Amino acid sequence: MFSKPQAYLTKVFIQIFLRNKQYIIFSLILPLLILGIVGLNDGDADPIDIGLVNNSESNLSQEFIEQLTSNNIFNVIQDSEDKLRTDLINGDLMVVLIIPRAMNIEIDNLNIKLLVDKSQTQFIQTIEPILNQSLLSIERKITGNTPMFKLVVEDVKSRTLSYIDFLLPGIMAFMLMNLSIAGSGFNVVEFRRRGILKRLFVTPIKPIDFVISIVIARMVIVLGQLSIIFSFALFILDANVVGNIFNLYFVIVLGILMFLTLGFSLGSLAKTQESVGVLATIFIYPQLVLSGVFFPLESLPIFIQPFAEILPLTLVADAMRSIANDGLQLVDIYSNFIGIAFWIVIGMLVSTKLFIWKEVAG
Amino acid sequence: MPIIKANNLVKTYKDPKDSNKYLKAVDGISLSINAGEIYGILGPNGAGKTTTLEMLEGLKDIDDGTAFINSINVSINPYQVKQVIGVQLQANEYFDNMSLSELLNLFSALYSSSNDPMELLNKVNLGDKASAKANELSGGQKQRFSIACALVNNPLVLFLDEPTTGLDPQAKRSLWDLVLDLNKMGMTIVLTTHNMEEAQVLCQRIAIMDYGKIIAEDTPQNLILQHAPDKQREVISGNMEDVFIALTGHGLRD
Repeated sequence: MFSKPQAYLTKVFIQIFLRNKQYIIFSLILPLLILGIVGLNDGDADPIDIGLVNNSESNLSQEFIEQLTSNNIFNVIQDSEDKLRTDLINGDLMVVLIIPRAMNIEIDNLNIKLLVDKSQTQFIQTIEPILNQSLLSIERKITGNTPMFKLVVEDVKSRTLSYIDFLLPGIMAFMLMNLSIAGSGFNVVEFRRRGILKRLFVTPIKPIDFVISIVIARMVIVLGQLSIIFSFALFILDANVVGNIFNLYFVIVLGILMFLTLGFSLGSLAKTQESVGVLATIFIYPQLVLSGVFFPLESLPIFIQPFAEILPLTLVADAMRSIANDGLQLVDIYSNFIGIAFWIVIGMLVSTKLFIWKEVAG
Repeated sequence: MPIIKANNLVKTYKDPKDSNKYLKAVDGISLSINAGEIYGILGPNGAGKTTTLEMLEGLKDIDDGTAFINSINVSINPYQVKQVIGVQLQANEYFDNMSLSELLNLFSALYSSSNDPMELLNKVNLGDKASAKANELSGGQKQRFSIACALVNNPLVLFLDEPTTGLDPQAKRSLWDLVLDLNKMGMTIVLTTHNMEEAQVLCQRIAIMDYGKIIAEDTPQNLILQHAPDKQREVISGNMEDVFIALTGHGLRD
């Protein structure tokens, strides 16, 4: 089924790739770097720097400060109000708490002043409840009241999933997209521009021979690149994969096929190397934001979510995450496969209808 | 028995300036080229020489008319035609990072055949460059290499599109020798050129094309006799360039 010209051309495409050492190194640096940075982080958030001005000398204020300091979330810096105000304005601190002179158990409704930089509104919205909570628990401790409610957080998935485990399928999906697009669209436009494609079609090979060869060659190459990233994450960074690795690779193979055909489409639409670059950027960057690879889909505006869910990268990243993080079987993610198949058909239609075969191969 | 037979070939393009208008790049060309002949197509830039060749080579669709090479219909069986022809294109770029012998092996494989790359390289005087890359070659070496690539399938007909454009006199002469050698071995050669001397030295017959039509076709000798205007009586000093200018005028075409 694999003719001699196809086999030879496939071999040549792989050979050309392997000889381009610079490209190999550059294509691996970014994903390894991202994974490395995430993987070497211990996972704990850095404490938040808050300033504290203590104007009171009562025992109560001392106890409050001790409580606050012992909380891991905060890194308390005590100083004069003037100094801390300057730090706040300079952005070195997020908030400054000012304990009034009359901090005393006898006085009800004591106001602790909170100095903030309003440009950090979003951050303050998050930190304010934590501060209130801390104050409340300190108050309870001092007054000796027992709390009525307590929130117990239980992970229903009940397994330890670190940030790298969450990030790994997404990064692999993203890398799979970049490498496949670069390997098909860019290659074809370049081959056409330099007249190499025309030279190939002087010989009796058919366009389909060329497509089969470049798809297989690129499949092998991208699988190799992804396996390097994957091994790095598994063996060096101790990432965990819950589901079946073969299922994961099945999704990867389909994903590569999808992005290769979409890459051919971009290469068919674009006449020059510059315009294929712009087209690829238009194709890649929105997906980076909208696909849930780095930010959860739920954080997107509601009206954009249905659109985001059918993006090619979302389908692949979600399928990979379902297997790698949730241990789902292939049948559980059939809807993703329908989506991927849909995109493969679109890619094939666009690239065969618009492709330059007509221009270069008669 | 002609090995190439073309009847009323037409290639139409949309006018880039006005999409309602059509331009005929090739306008009813008929050719009859004999086996073993070196046939030249001369013409100013944009006359339709390359388009004519590419239709014969199966690289461009034939909009109207018929073409047969070795009795195979080009429109119906382009892949069969490609098996029996060798083509040297104007642009000569190849995959990066591959040596000449690797490229020749690749082209052989694309014809599902195998051929000794060294033998081909020796034939075009590039035996010492087997492990060089294509982009390391000089202009003349590149042209000779692209002829080697066109020979991997032992073609019956060799098409050369402006093979000596941009070459220095030495490289040009060495390429002429190569073309004559190949012809002596029985190969039919069709070439396009701007170089009148080349046409005169190499070609047994010449067609002069302008605006998509053949405006004259004969042996170089007869063309000079008929068209070199002021020099008719002194045939020896008249040359193909005089013929060319007499037929296509003095205006610049680029």
